[in-house]
Parts: sequence; structure tokens; C-alpha cells
Amino acid sequence: MCPDTKEATTPGADAPENDSIVVCRNLEKHYRQGAIQVPALRGVDLEIHRGDFATLAGPSGSGKTTLLNMIGGLDYPSAGEIIVDGQDLRALTKSDLAEMRLRKIGFVFQAYNLIPVLTAAENIEFILRLQGVGSRERHERARAALADVGLEGLEDRRPSHLSGGQQQRVAVARALINRPAIVLADEPTANLDTQTAGGLIDLMADLNARHGTTFLMGTHDARVIARSRRHIELTDGRISGDELRNT
Amino acid sequence: MIETLRTLAPLAWRNIWRNPRRTIITLIVVAMGIFSILIFAAFLRAWADSSRDRVLTLMTSSIQIHARGFLDDPTVKHLFEQPSGPLAEALDHPDIAHWAPRLLFPAIVQSEYRTLPVTLVGVDPAREATISVIPANVIQGSYLSGRQDVRIVLGDKNLARLKTRLGKRVVVLAQAADGTLAERGFEVGGVFSGDSEIEGQFAFVALDTAQDMLGTGNKLAEIAIQVPDPDKLPAVVQALRKAAPDLDIRTWKELSPMAAAVDQMMGLIVYVWLWVMFVLMAIGIVNTQLMAVFERIHEFGLMQALGMRPRMIVGIVALESGMLVGLGILIGMGAAAFLISALSGGVDISGFAEGAAMIGAGTMLYPELDPPQIIQLSIVVWVLGVLVALWPARKAAKISPVEAMTHVS
Repeated sequence: MCPDTKEATTPGADAPENDSIVVCRNLEKHYRQGAIQVPALRGVDLEIHRGDFATLAGPSGSGKTTLLNMIGGLDYPSAGEIIVDGQDLRALTKSDLAEMRLRKIGFVFQAYNLIPVLTAAENIEFILRLQGVGSRERHERARAALADVGLEGLEDRRPSHLSGGQQQRVAVARALINRPAIVLADEPTANLDTQTAGGLIDLMADLNARHGTTFLMGTHDARVIARSRRHIELTDGRISGDELRNT
Repeated sequence: MIETLRTLAPLAWRNIWRNPRRTIITLIVVAMGIFSILIFAAFLRAWADSSRDRVLTLMTSSIQIHARGFLDDPTVKHLFEQPSGPLAEALDHPDIAHWAPRLLFPAIVQSEYRTLPVTLVGVDPAREATISVIPANVIQGSYLSGRQDVRIVLGDKNLARLKTRLGKRVVVLAQAADGTLAERGFEVGGVFSGDSEIEGQFAFVALDTAQDMLGTGNKLAEIAIQVPDPDKLPAVVQALRKAAPDLDIRTWKELSPMAAAVDQMMGLIVYVWLWVMFVLMAIGIVNTQLMAVFERIHEFGLMQALGMRPRMIVGIVALESGMLVGLGILIGMGAAAFLISALSGGVDISGFAEGAAMIGAGTMLYPELDPPQIIQLSIVVWVLGVLVALWPARKAAKISPVEAMTHVS
């Protein structure tokens, strides 16, 4: 449930809980700066449903990245409950969290975040290697994933020989290769020019529509927000708005 | 495990070449380290072999028998009878290749110009040739021809000191068995070369002639024995001591403690050197890996964010170190093999003959690489190299993936 929604239609209330990929209940996160505890999240209640194409917006310091980190199992909450695809993340060790990220989460970061010594295809195969997928299947799936994001023929290029937009497409393909329960994208268009950013938004929307992949995107970008079907506002570590939208 | 290695190995290999200059410097450090360890070990082995061979083949042999007290007072007062009975039977031990009787005594050799103190050795030339290389190292004239030969064989160094030459006569003065001064003239019949110390110390005459000169009868001062298999030495000594409990029977290790110490301490010295070199190598390895880790903090965070477990992060850094050190070891081994192969004809250290004699070595060293030792030392260096890299590896594994996320946001 998301108590701070502005609209009468509360997305979390409309869908049954077993359709939820992510459930956050009274989620809190405090960071310590010297002797002072700085709250980053203050009792967030949120549910993300299968197939959502949602944006998470808010001013700098509102807690977007912190919330994405919590959902992605990159950090432990200070208090509250967080369940991803039925797993309570508080009960997982660092190793278990790594395994959960490998199997269930796809990440697209603001910077392109590809491994520089690997080619585009190898960056995607890296996830499959960690999953223990066999060589032939890895190659086929990586090539198919690159074709899916419009990068056919660039499989053997290293990141330094790809444009920013191409690198971000590789990152999207990598995020999707493990068929994740949810893709978390933190400012995915922040470093891209207008045209490239538009292309990336189209791509993610298309993948959501075709494959039903759930996206939760932390962003300031109005174009991304405009394309989302659900928009969540975060202010001072609290959900200040949550609306379903027709795009 | 194999699948993990197959995942990490290509990544590790490419990572070590991300900064070729730093990698090459580290490779040079490791290669030079292993090169110096192997070369040091080879020369030390050569020195030990040379010292042992010098002892075994010049004068000492594997075992010596003396009358008790002779080694403290090597004069005609401490002689023993020609071997007979149990001792003669013990000398037929199957592990004894050869033995030779000797009568050693301090003497003065006098030429027309000079007088020199020497240790005169009465030998049975035929038997002596089976246990010592000196009879074969005669560079002028000939060695003694039989037990009644009346010539003397001098070292090249003493020949020069005495300012005499082949065919000239010298006078030998020594204390006889009855306490009187025995004196006898000898023709210089041969000149031998050996190392400087041996040339300066010993002169050889025929055994019967020496016994006759000193009036010792058939008595001997020493029996030198060759036992080719060093593992059989204790058993032979035991048999001899049992057969002749009244005699002083000692091995070359007891007679030449310096050579024995070199032989025994060699392994230890190599390992001390290994550790010294390894500390230097470790500084290079750790420095390289720490720099590599700190430069890639973001990347390690990313890898963890993507689902790589912390122990795999440790694995990748350790693997990078393993590859780097392994490659350095191969280069160092290759360089050492090349140098040792180039020196296979021996290294002539006769220019340092005095020094060589002081450290117990001969004038030629024959360094060789010992394959089991190479493997052993290389494995030790490789394992240690990987172990020291675990420190930066653990640092890498401890990096929170959030740091990477924070970095980008």
C-alpha cells in the first residue's frame, strides 16, 4: 500500500499482492554522517506490479537512488520490510543478495557501466557466464539481445568503440538477458543527448510492451516520465505521489 | 570450479594487460627475482658440488682411517699397522670402490735456493690413482711408477717457490720413527697441478721409499677410502669401526666440515635468498594489485551489482596475480635456463683461485639447473605471489556495490 498517493486510484491497492514484484513496507534507511544520522528513506510503502513501466521521480536527495538500491538488494534497509519476487531481502546474506541480483534484477545505471575489457557481446554474456549458461546458448542469446536493442553487427566492439547511446543499449540488453523480474534504471538517460535518450526510452517502452518486462526508472527526465504508465513521486524520503497514467 | 575459472580467466588475462607498462614492470620484477633465485641456487649447488668433489677426489676421499691422535698430531708417533684380519675384510666391503694406504708426515723440502715446509705423502701409486685425481694431473714429468720409486712429485706452486725444476734434486728432511732426523735426496720426477692450496701443501713420494726413509716398517698414517654412493657411507663407516675399534675412522664430512656445511646448508641458503627476493617481489606484486584494485573500485562494485559474489571478486584478483606471477616465473625460468645453458662448459674461477680455495671450491664451477628444485622454487614463489595478492583481493571484495551506484549518481 502507498499511503501518500495523490490520486484516488492507488496502484498498490488495485492489484492483488501476489502480482507484485516488489513490496516495500515502512522502509527506512539512515546514513551516518559523523555523529549525525541522516534519514534517506522515511517509511516508504510501495508495490511494483508485474509489467509496470514506472518512473520514480523527485528532487536530488529525495531518496530515489537509495530506494532503487534497496529494491535491487545493493544495500540493507535500516528498518522495514522489502520483498522482491517473494523473497524477503532482509533475510539474505551478501552472497544470497548477489545471487538474487543475478537471477531476478536487471540494472541500467546512469553511467554506461560496461566492463571495459569485454566486447559488447561479452558484457552481455558475462551475466550468463555467472549463471552457468553453456557457451553456445550464451552466444546465441547475447547476439539476439543485441539485435533486440538494435546493435546487430556491433557484437565484437569494446565499450570504448561504442557511442554513449550504444553503450546504454548494451546495458539495457545486459539488464534483460537474465530475464529479470524487474529492471531498475537509475537516471538511464542522464548522460545521453536528446535524440539518443528518445531512442533509449522507445527501446525500453518497446521491450516492456513486447516482453512484459517490469521497469522501475529513477529519473528527472520529463520525456521518460511522459512515456511511463505509472509515476511515483518521492519527496524527502517519502512517497508523495503515485499515479497511473495513460500514455 | 572449472566453470568459474573459465568465466574469470579471460577477464583476468585482459585485465592484467589494461596497463601494459605496469604489467611489464611487474613481470620484470618477478622474472628477475626468480632468475636470481635459480641462478643463485645453481651456483650454490655448483659450489657445493665443487667443494665436495675437491674433497672426495683430491686428498680426503669419502672416509679416512688414522691411528688415534694422528689428526691432532700428524707425525710418525701416531701410525698403525698395515690392514689385516677384520680390517682387511672390512676394506673388501662391496660398497667400497677403492682404498689407498698413505704415510703422511711433516717434512722440509730443500732446493738449492729455498726451503719449504710440506706434508710429504708416501703413496702406493697404483692404488692412489684409483682414489685421487692428482696422479692424472701431472703437467710435467710423470707420476710415481711404483712403491719403490725414488723420485718426488711436487706441486706446480712449490716448484716455483723452490725455484727448482724437473730433473733437479731436492733434499727432504723429516723426523724418523726413532726420533732422529731423517734426510734423503729426491729427484723431481713430476709436477702436478691442482688447486693452489693442494699444490702448496703436499708433495708425493713412493710408500716403500717413505717407510724406508723414516724407519716405520710397514706402518701407515692413513688409509683413504672411496665410497661412490653417499647413501652407503654410514653403513661402511659402521662396518669399518666395528672391524677396527681402536682406529680413528671419519667421513669426509667430519674431516672437511666446511665442505660438509656448504653441502648441508645449501638448501637453507637458497631458501633464505628466496625469501629475500620474494619480499622484494611481493612489494611489486602487492603494489601492482593494489593500484589495479583501486583503479577499478567502480568496476568491482558494478560486478557485484550485476550478481558476482564477493568470493569471485577475490578469485579474479587472485587469478590476475597468479597469471602475472606465473608469466614472470616462466620468463625468469627461461632466462635462467638460457644463461645456465650458455655456462654449461663451466665457469673458470681460477682468477680467484685463492678465494676459491678459501671457500672450499675448485677452480671450475659447473652450474646446473635442478628440475625438481626449479619446480619446487617456482611453486613456492607462485603460491606466495597469489597469497600476497589476497590482501588487495579482499579489499576489492569488500567494496560495497552501493559505492559504485553512488559513484554514478
